[in-house]
Amino acid sequence: MIVSEKDINEQIKWAQINKDVLRSLENPRKAYWVALFICVAMFSCAIVAEIYQYNVGMGPTNLNNPHMWDMYIASFVFWIGMSHSGTLLSAILHIIHADWRKPIYRFAEAMTTFSLLTAGFFPMIHLGRVWNLYWVLPYVSDRGHWPNFRSPLAWDAFAISTYLSASMLFLFIGMIPDLAICRDNTTGWRKKLYTLLSLGWTGNDRQWRTFRKTYLLMACFLIPLAVSVHSIVSSDFAMAIMPGWHITSFPPYFVAGALYSGCAAIITLFVMLRYFFRFEEYMTTAIMEKTAKLTFAIAMVWTYLNLVEFAATWYGHNVYDKELLIAKAVGPYAWVFWTMIFCGMVVPFALAVQKFRRHMPTMFVVSLFLNLSMYFERWMIVAPTLSMSHQTHQWDVMWPSIIQWAIVFGSFGWFGILFLVFVKVFPSVSMYEVKEMVYHRKREAESDEAPATGKPNLEGAS
Amino acid sequence: MSLSNILNNWSHYRRGAEEGGHHTYEHRWAMAINLDMCIGCNACSTACYSENNLAVVGREKFDKGQAMHWLRLERYWDEDSAEKEFPDSGAKFLPMMCQQCGSATCEPVCPVAATYHTPDGLNAQVYNRCIGSRYCSNNCPFRVRYFNFYSYYETSWPEPLNLQLNPDITVRDKGVMEKCTFCVQRIRTAQDTAKMADRNIIDGEFTTACAQACPTSAIVFGDTMDADSQVTRLWKKHQVVRHTTKQDKRNPELRGYRIFEELNVDPSIMYLERVRDTEV
Amino acid sequence: MKNYRILGLFNNFEEAFGALTDIRNNSVSGVSIDDVTLNSPIEHPEIEEVLGDRGTHLPKFTFAGAIFGLTFGFLFIAGAQATFLVQPQGGKPVIPLPSNFVLVYEMLIFFAVWSTFFAFLFLSKLFRKRHNLYSEKVSLDQIGVIIELDKAQLEPLKDLFKQHKVLEIREEDIK
Repeated sequence: MIVSEKDINEQIKWAQINKDVLRSLENPRKAYWVALFICVAMFSCAIVAEIYQYNVGMGPTNLNNPHMWDMYIASFVFWIGMSHSGTLLSAILHIIHADWRKPIYRFAEAMTTFSLLTAGFFPMIHLGRVWNLYWVLPYVSDRGHWPNFRSPLAWDAFAISTYLSASMLFLFIGMIPDLAICRDNTTGWRKKLYTLLSLGWTGNDRQWRTFRKTYLLMACFLIPLAVSVHSIVSSDFAMAIMPGWHITSFPPYFVAGALYSGCAAIITLFVMLRYFFRFEEYMTTAIMEKTAKLTFAIAMVWTYLNLVEFAATWYGHNVYDKELLIAKAVGPYAWVFWTMIFCGMVVPFALAVQKFRRHMPTMFVVSLFLNLSMYFERWMIVAPTLSMSHQTHQWDVMWPSIIQWAIVFGSFGWFGILFLVFVKVFPSVSMYEVKEMVYHRKREAESDEAPATGKPNLEGAS
Repeated sequence: MSLSNILNNWSHYRRGAEEGGHHTYEHRWAMAINLDMCIGCNACSTACYSENNLAVVGREKFDKGQAMHWLRLERYWDEDSAEKEFPDSGAKFLPMMCQQCGSATCEPVCPVAATYHTPDGLNAQVYNRCIGSRYCSNNCPFRVRYFNFYSYYETSWPEPLNLQLNPDITVRDKGVMEKCTFCVQRIRTAQDTAKMADRNIIDGEFTTACAQACPTSAIVFGDTMDADSQVTRLWKKHQVVRHTTKQDKRNPELRGYRIFEELNVDPSIMYLERVRDTEV
Repeated sequence: MKNYRILGLFNNFEEAFGALTDIRNNSVSGVSIDDVTLNSPIEHPEIEEVLGDRGTHLPKFTFAGAIFGLTFGFLFIAGAQATFLVQPQGGKPVIPLPSNFVLVYEMLIFFAVWSTFFAFLFLSKLFRKRHNLYSEKVSLDQIGVIIELDKAQLEPLKDLFKQHKVLEIREEDIK
């Protein structure tokens, strides 16, 4: 049975949209507060672990000579990856005029910004001497010292600061008209906050015209930027000479993986927000279906690139690479590898079934499995290479300690806190764009019925 | 930091290692290690510990792989060693330390330029500049970079052992990377002495701690820019050349090789293969 | 000259456009379409059909930012490398073009994006106090037409608005 349904009910009134979305700033379900509490608890675990690690050194993390990197770097790549879908999809869908993005892009972009803020922590946490972090930045020093511009880690510093500022501006600019709505409808501290942030937006034609152009230009820059950022993150590995890292296909592989995990995270958050704020009218099953189809397509791209990587390694017949590939499949880390393969390549086929796509709890669980696979993928890139690199004498199997687990666990809490506070303070559904969507769909529907009428009388206008 | 600097020296700044690089080398410190003479006694490693203030981490941390031995003695067995009794099972030793590569892979990845190539061919590690991103260690195929996972100095030299610390070099705190320096403090002292006496460094005037301690003189250290030095003669004898990924090995008498030279890292240590009793 | 400002609130775009089309056709003498500001709750590209193409200089700022990022980025990085000669590493030249390309690419986007943002703030005339005629209904669901005019034109314009089913009219003496 094929159910075709509208992305949104176009008969919905503009005033009703304001009312429904503004309500989300007021009274979420109890589950919201439970989720927020859990996130705070998770985050405090990380705080305790980080204070300990800061005082003692990197030793308690179980890192050792071959395993200089582990979960921190895997988490860094994971969070950077997750940040990709929000902005990249929002920008692409904006440029190709796919208006079903409108109800969901706001929280997706917020997800981008906050996962970047989470990702930014990991290179710091993982540094031996975090207090000297600013040495990575290119500032003019009286000792004539500069960062090493050849290092992919220095590229990371450039790429992430560019991406963070660009995606924050994209999120912020897209939110200005909505902040003006909030300003007009709230009182107290909220009114002061929104008045400040809406920058005096009145919605006149000049502002809209500039706004439209700005938004389009930002979208045009964000697409190549997002692709380049994850390519640069992949250079952390691809520019090294280690077996399993020095792989030409890493940049596209990382970008596909980033989109994949980002889409999965969008589905997770979609289901949560829909439930917390009773957004059934806006985050409809039809939009969920489209997102799920997109995720499925990206999952297949990722699967393909994974298989290409295996095949290239196999036929390349480099002794180090090949041995590592076999060890991934049958060695001590094999269960992680096969979980990643199963959750990343087999589970997404659930998205091909319409019945599942339309069932929110199923989608929630599936998306969690996809994200698990993506986390394992990143870890499988980092750990096995270090455990089996060129020098056979230094082969070693290491499992991360409780300190690493606590900090990684807590990073999810930190992301959750930022995200949950954001959706409570700012409208997580774009009001003005849903209005546009409703307006245009309504006009389309009317012009389908009666092509002659419905258009405004514009004679003499040109 | 000016435009004219870039424009005037453009061709100079664009020279990679293949064209001789940016440096004009004053010395080129190198080693020759004769594996046939290595008896696996670990004297080199011990000497390194006392010369370079290496922290003694204790058994537990050693087992976790957090030891600080800049020079480690790697022990390998024959592939069919399980079928043989001990003396015949073919134990082989390989003293492994930083290879002071000419095109070192650790160098370009450091985000803060804490490791760089000196004009005498060493990979210098600047402890003060290191922020501990550990990328260099990850990109070292030899795995000879060691990280201070703890403030080892707090427990390594309880009173009165702290009096044995070498005053010529530092004691490192947590969070920095360190590695074999070819005993750079001895190199600098010798350079200073030679300069004061207005002469060149004489081969054999000084050597590294490991070479000094080796009971069989398996380790030879010297300057390959000095045509008469012992290390130069050994490199020449075994026809090992720099800037290549494969040595000419048509003559089986030529036992010299550099580890992982196929990765184009241009190591500065030449090893001489062991001659097996069975093969003789 | 223009002493008065008048706001008419309309229920939908069609009615507002009706009024604007009449103004454009000079039904009220002395009031030009260029004196009109349209406030709307959504972005509506078709307003240009009645307001005329008012254009924007925004892309020029973006372009300038991108060019600045490109040239400054390369000169800054290459200049830094050329003074930091202990940096030559791993057998690579002092100024390695492939890695500089990556960094310059990022700096191009960085400056392009920021200059777009500041140009947006500047060109859309934000950071100004909302004048008294700003109606909160515009951010809800109504279309506002604001016109600056003389006292003599006030009454004819109100009549025009009423023909097009205006919901509310407010006026202000601006001197």
